[in-house]
Formats: sequence, structure tokens, C-alpha cells
Amino acid sequence: MKNVRNFCIIAHIDHGKSTLADRLIQACNGVETREFRDQVLDDMELERERGITIKSNAISLAHTAEDGLTYRLNLIDTPGHVDFSHEVRRSLMACEGAIIIVDATQGVEAQTVANLYLAMEHDLELLPVINKIDLPAADVDRALEEVDRDLGLDPFAALAVSAKNGVGIDRVLEGIVEHLPPPTGDPEAPLKALVFDARYDVYRGIVLSCRIRDGSLAAGDRVRFMHAGTEYEVHEVGYSGFRREKIDRLPTGAVGYVITGIKTIRDVGIGDTLTLCRRPAEAPLPGYQPARPVVFSSIYPMSSDEYPALSEAIEKLALNDAALVYQKDASAALGFGYRCGFLGLLHLDVVQERLRREFDLSLVLSAPSVLYRVQTSDGARHEVDNPGLWPDPGTIQGVEEPWIQASILVPEKYMGAAIELCRQHRAASLTTSFLARGRLEVVAEMPLAEVLFDFYDRLKSVTRGYGSFDYEERDYRAGDIVKVDILVHHEKVDALAFLAHRDKARARAVHYCEQLAESIPRHQFRIPVQGAIGGNIISRATISAFRKDVTAKCYGGDVSRKRKLLEKQKKGKERMKLVGSVEIPQDAFVSVLRTDRA
Amino acid sequence: MRVVSSAPVVEPAPGVESTPEVESAPAVESATVVESATVVESAPVVESAPEPTESAGLYVHVPFCSAVCPYCDFAVQIGSASERTAFGALLRAEAALWSAWDRPIDTVYVGGGTPSRLDPGQLEPMLAALRSELPVRSDAELFLEANPEDVTPGRVDEWRALGVSFLSLGVQSFHDAELRALGRRHDGREARSAVETSLKGGFDTVSVDLMFGLPGQDLAAWSGNLDTVLALGPEHISCYQLTIHEDTAFGRRRARGRLTEMPESAQADFFASTHARLADAGWEAYEVSNFARAPRHRSQHNLKYWRHLPYLGLGPSAHSFDGARHRWWNHRALHDYARRITRGERAVEADEALDGEALALEALMLGLRTVEGIDLPGYRLRYGVDLHGLNRPLIATLAEEGLVQCEAGALRPTRRGLAVADGLAARFRLA
Repeated sequence: MKNVRNFCIIAHIDHGKSTLADRLIQACNGVETREFRDQVLDDMELERERGITIKSNAISLAHTAEDGLTYRLNLIDTPGHVDFSHEVRRSLMACEGAIIIVDATQGVEAQTVANLYLAMEHDLELLPVINKIDLPAADVDRALEEVDRDLGLDPFAALAVSAKNGVGIDRVLEGIVEHLPPPTGDPEAPLKALVFDARYDVYRGIVLSCRIRDGSLAAGDRVRFMHAGTEYEVHEVGYSGFRREKIDRLPTGAVGYVITGIKTIRDVGIGDTLTLCRRPAEAPLPGYQPARPVVFSSIYPMSSDEYPALSEAIEKLALNDAALVYQKDASAALGFGYRCGFLGLLHLDVVQERLRREFDLSLVLSAPSVLYRVQTSDGARHEVDNPGLWPDPGTIQGVEEPWIQASILVPEKYMGAAIELCRQHRAASLTTSFLARGRLEVVAEMPLAEVLFDFYDRLKSVTRGYGSFDYEERDYRAGDIVKVDILVHHEKVDALAFLAHRDKARARAVHYCEQLAESIPRHQFRIPVQGAIGGNIISRATISAFRKDVTAKCYGGDVSRKRKLLEKQKKGKERMKLVGSVEIPQDAFVSVLRTDRA
Repeated sequence: MRVVSSAPVVEPAPGVESTPEVESAPAVESATVVESATVVESAPVVESAPEPTESAGLYVHVPFCSAVCPYCDFAVQIGSASERTAFGALLRAEAALWSAWDRPIDTVYVGGGTPSRLDPGQLEPMLAALRSELPVRSDAELFLEANPEDVTPGRVDEWRALGVSFLSLGVQSFHDAELRALGRRHDGREARSAVETSLKGGFDTVSVDLMFGLPGQDLAAWSGNLDTVLALGPEHISCYQLTIHEDTAFGRRRARGRLTEMPESAQADFFASTHARLADAGWEAYEVSNFARAPRHRSQHNLKYWRHLPYLGLGPSAHSFDGARHRWWNHRALHDYARRITRGERAVEADEALDGEALALEALMLGLRTVEGIDLPGYRLRYGVDLHGLNRPLIATLAEEGLVQCEAGALRPTRRGLAVADGLAARFRLA
């Protein structure tokens, strides 16, 4: 056990976490060069492309230290975005220590602090690493000062490296061995193994990533998920190197994989505790929190022929994404689809991008919504995220919406702009505090719905990219929420309806109408596009009509050519959705909802 | 495309025999026939729809002009005197190659090109050959296109003597400047005189072709042309909006930015004012661009195109339709056409066999160009498509918006509907 180190790397986005991970892996020869791709841990195409880690992963490295001993270093990768903080928590629970990266050119950022707090919550030992010292803009002294003042860590323990150029990597490996503690745990106690990740393998079914806290786990053991109460036989255990490295028994303190007969990820509670059926532990490990979706949107295929493909794709995605919840949904305008719940907007983006890329689907997404609590006059309470299920306004006695506490880190000179932006997004109880030289934190309570659309992009824009943003959910508070219908040629387009605070409803409705009027082609008649709350029209745009669209001559020799033109035209219409008698191009749905958030 | 040398018409369309009860049904029981069509249609056998039994049209393309107009994209050439002489023989030979055509012909349309450039001495044997080789009915109507500069009292008498009953004059405008811009060889005075001369000739119908939407033309100038033609008093008027085709002099000018098509809103204004003006004067707009002083002056030949009826085309570039599901067309270039005919082969360049949906689409797009519109039970019977049933909400919307009328089993475009007939045709579901 004393030759084992379980650690993760925490960093603000773009501070070089994945690059450092790559170098550590290379330095330990965890991956053969020809198989090595940059950022091995981010093995989804999208993760590599965006440079963010979506799914956590673990890799086991062998390092022979200066003391001559060989250590097993288990690097547990963590997702780098606020939406995935539950996954971060689970990963942290598997570790004793963490490398905390600070970008030498940018210093301590919002997420660095947020992750620090998370790490401290889990009693992790921290090893600060100043990265990107090769860049001309690097200011190592300032970074060290911030490590001291903002993170409260020992600047003398900090290691200055350039992960990109491989400078200082050996010292990081030694630092892990020296500064981070070995795992503790009672080898004699009943098994307690934390399930911190799971992946679907086509050949083996679900492969669990586990951290053995107490006891040990061997192939052939019968195990129980303590929260779920389900039981399985263990088929195989081992270490996750670049390939799976099968062993007989995972000892106390080990991080490794466990294969049982589990078929779907729905049967796995990530964060649950495994114990032995024949000698169960008394209580599971603390801190289990099932992932809960907070953002909802309906996903429809562009063409209804693609619905079976969409069903298959969502099921496949869900094999590896326990946080993705979905159920069948049907729209009059867009046909069959799925109502999906996401951990946040980035999660939503990632899921739709993966559906597009990995499964080659064209999609239309409805406007994202939060989960509202509605009380109706019959005394019933409803949880509604879907505008289609919004109760009759006449029966609504009260609506509550989720609030968050947002933490925004900005350079001092953008404080005013950031505060103004929060105010525009219905912020309550704004406070500011200085963090470090020229940097401060704005803490604001805001409705979650307010940050769903354009908040983050606007923040980036008003702070010229320097602002960072993080939030945590707080509570539900009363709000004047209305359902806005969008009518095209007097027909409601269900997929475009949205729920909004009354003060914001009109502006968004105007935007929708304008966007639709731009993207719906002219018809042979005028098309009004309206936003309405109940029977009350709050916005309107008009698409003018074609007045002349006929060829002057159509005689014997023209018929074939004209018919072929028409056939082509009709083919083009196959990708349009018919609402009433109006053909709405798929792009119109996409453009409305995209610019909604841009 | 498959190059064919055998006539598609010779093969009987499949399924003709399968509905004898429809063809033999007495007229008084036509309602029953329509009812039974529901049964026929409910089976997915489009093939069993009856073929029309109407007579066919015959189109003869004369590919010669004295000059090629800068907007024209027809198969035309100036042609030498010897080519023109040889052409008469080629046509006669081609007619003989089509002697298996068994559909009675009741309209013969000689167009082009400028058939009025042909001497009546050339026209006469040509027409005689058509009559002897093909089942042209003795009472068939004869149509002739003529350019104003070729119209003289003498010629008019000769055409009448040949049996021409419908004379179509390529006037285009009565304004000299517009005529020059269009590259025409006549001026306004000649145009007026040609119409007057023709009207005295004793034809059943004299028709005047006019063009609007010319570069720089304003509504007043166009309105002047309409005044003139109404005062002259022909029985038929065609008003075409200038269409700029790519492979024409106008097309090349447009590509170089020296010519632009009239903007849509102006086109719509010209179209609407033309239709309003002629309607006020008591004329019937029976097709997008065609107006008749009375129904009997409609072009019975052109109506065949719009009613999806059969026609045989002879001469270079001429298109044919067997009235069931085959279309074919001749070589466009005179030398290709001549080579094939000289070899004793039909000059068919390619053909196509249409499936049920393509036929239904053609019938829809053609029908929406005419005031007759689409006879819904007939459409269902012939194409196996329940146009109304498949498009109820659309038809209701279009009717509400004043673009179509759907009454007594007919779907008819209104004047505003005619102006957007192409767009309308693309809107309907056919399956």
C-alpha cells in the first residue's frame, strides 16, 4: 500500500491538465509511443477537439523513483467543467492527493479556487504545479504569490514546469511520491470499494472503475451495491494501464477495474459502494449523490426517418453517460423525439455534438428549460420542465424556479460590467470581494434559467474573455413564469414554445419571431409569425409573400424540364417541417435556438 | 438517357385493358364511374387508371428564322434556301416514319422558328404528307405562327387556302424602340398592319403575341401595347413576360451585368395589371399567359399540353407525349435530325417513361396554369392520387388566402394563384 499513490489533476480549463497527464503517462511508458495520441485520457473525439475532459478516466502508471522503489501511480482524470462537478467529486473521493495546476500566464482562476475547495472538502493533499513557464507571458512569481495568497498553499512546494515541452516532469513524478500520501485503509475490514466511474465495453459489458477503501476484491467474489442493493458476481479485476492488466485481487488502496455481469449503465450507481455479499460492510462510504439533471430539452431528428437511428444513438450514449436522462417525446411540428435531462448546458452541448458526430444525425433541439415547481388551484404540485406540459395559466397559483449562487471572477476593471450583467439577469444579493492583485469575485444569486441562454457568452464578451463563471444550485424561489407560444401563420409551433420570466418573455419572443421570419422562406401567402402569452400577442414579424412565381411559357417542349425542376424543389422540401400549411426549414428551428444562446 | 429508335407509342401502355368497364360506361352513369374509381384507387395500382381517349395534337417545328432574336432559346437557325427546301422533304419522310401513330389528330400546329418564312409552295406538300401519313382528321384545326413582316394580303389568302384557321402573330410590341431592343425585324406600324391584314383574312382566330417585362419598360408603355391590341381586336392574345435564358444573347448580357430581369414585385404588378385590364375588357385569361375573347378562340392545340393530352412532335427539338406515360424528343440540331431521317430512322434523341407520381406532378403543374384547374375526381381516376384528401389543410389555406378555389370537385387557381402557379405546384403532396 505504501508504494501506491492515487491522485488526480485539478485545473482551470485550458491550464494544461491533459497535457501534463500525457507527459506523466509518457514518462512512465504507460503508453507505447506509436499508440500515443496527445491527451490519451480524453479518448473521445469531442474531448480532444474541445480540449476538455468530459468523462473521467483512470490510468495506472509504474514509476521507479529516486529511492529505487517502483511505485504504482494511479492517475484519476477529472472532468474540467462545472456541469460535471458531481463526476469531479466522485473522482476526488478515489484519491489521497491532487496536483493543482496554475497557469503561469493567467494565475489562479475561478475554477482553480472552486476545485481547491472541492479537494479540501475531500481532505486531499495538494501539490501545486505552475505550468506554461515556457510562454513569454509567464509570470511565475505572480503565480507563486497567488498560490500563497489565494490558494493558501506553500509556494515553496510548488513545481514550475512546461508540460508542453516536457520540462520538470521528472520533478512532478518525484513530487507525487514525496508529497502525496499513500492510501490508508484496513485490509482486514469488510470490503468497501467506491465505484467512481463506469464504461460500456462492447465485449465485456460494464467495466467499473473502483477504489478499494477497505478489504480487497477478487475475481469470483460476489458483490453488492450497497445503495442499490443489487448483487453481481465479479468476473475479472485488474489495473487500468493503457490496456487492462488482469490480476487476481485488488488490494486495499488500489484503484482498478472490476468486470461483473452488468449489462447497462443504468444498473450502476456511480458513487455507490461495493461490498462482499458474504461479509458486508456496515455502512457505505459517505457522500453518495445521484446525478440530477437541471437542464431539459427535447431532441428531434431533422427527418422523421432518423428517429430509429436517434433512439439507438441515445441508448448508446447513455451506456456511458449515466447523467443523461431521456424519455420519449412527440411534437406536432417535429414528430417523435426525446425529452432529455442534462447536468447543465455544456452537458447538453456535448450530448448533441456527440449525436451529430459519432452517429451522424441531424438534430433539432427545443429551447432548454429548467425544472419549475408549479402549484395549481386544486392543491396539486407539479414539476414541469416541458412547455408542452405547462398547466392552464388560469389554474396556476404559484410557480417556483431554481436559483443558483454564481461566482464570477473578473479583473477589477470589468467589475462594473459583470455586476451590470448580473443585474440584467435578475441577480439578487450581489457581493464582491477582492481575491488578489487586480482580481475580484462577484457572488450573485440568480435564477438558473437566467444563465441558460446567453449569460456565459455575454460575460466573456463584457470582460473580453477574462471573466470566469461557476455556479452551484441553491434553492427554489417564487417567480412570475409564463409560457410563450410561437405561432406561425396562426398555428402554434409546439417545439418553439418556451417558459420564461414575464419580464423577459417579450424580448425573447421578439427575437424568435425575427429569427423565424429570416429563416422561413417566402410562401405564396403572407405569413405572420407571432409570440403570444395565452391569447395576448406580444411580438410579431411578417414574411412577405411571393407574388410572381410562374414561368411565362409552358408548352410541349417545356414540360419535362419544368417537371424536373419541380421534382428537385420538392426534394428540397423533404427536409422541411410542415406546420399548418407553412414549410419550416429545419435550419429555422436550429437558428432560433442557437442564436437564443449566442 | 436511352436513345431509342422504336416508338414508345407502339407498345400499348400496360393496364389499358384492365378497366374496360370505365371506358364502356354510359355517360349517364358517370357518377357511378367516379364512385367505382374510389375502389380502383384504393388498390395501389396506378397502372389501372384509364388513359384519356381524346384526340392528339401534332406539332411541327420549322427551325428557320431570318435572324435569331436575342431572347430566343428555341432550336432555330437562319438556314440557307437549300436547307429550307430540303427540310420539307425531311418532314415528309419523318411523318412517314410515324405512320404507326394511331391516335386521331385534330390539331396541327406549325410553329418554330418562323414557319411564315416557308413558301406556301413548301408548306402545301408538307401538310399533304402529314395528312396522308398520319391519322389527321379532316376537320383538324390548323395553327400557323407568322412574323408580322411576312404577313401580306397575298400570303394571308394562301394560308387560308391551306386551311389555316388559327394564325398566331409574333408581334411582341407595337413600340419601335422595344422592337429594336428585342431584335425584331418589324416596327410598330408593320405590326399594326399585319394584325389588320390578318383580321381581314377570315381566320377563325387571329392571335397576337406580346411581351412585357422588357428592360426599361414601364407600366404605361405596356399599357399602351394593350390599348393598341385591344383596339385592333384580335380574338386571342398571348402576353409573355420576358424570360432571360442562359444560352441566349440576353443571357450573356445578364451574365455581364448589362441586363437585369425585372424585379419580382414589378413582374407581379405587370402580371396583375395585364390580367385586370383584359378581364375588364371582357377577355378570358384561360392560362397564365393566354387570353381569349371567347372560349371558342382558346388555342385548342396548346390546351392539349396543359390538359396532359397526347401530342406528336415532328421536326428538330420537337417533343412528344403519348398521353399515357412516355415522352420523347427529337435531336435539337438540324444536322443530327437530318442525318437520322436520311438514314430512314426516327430522329428521337431520348425518351423517358414517367412513373405515377411524375405524371401526377406534371398534371398538377400544368393544371394549375389554367383556369380550368384540376378536375379532382378525374385526376384521382387518371393518376390514382387523391389530391384533395392528401392536401386538405393546404387547400383550405390557399383558398383562404385567395390563391385557389375548390368548388364542385375542381381546384382552380385564382388570378393571384396563377401568378404563383409554379410555387403552388411544388406545395402539394402527391403520395
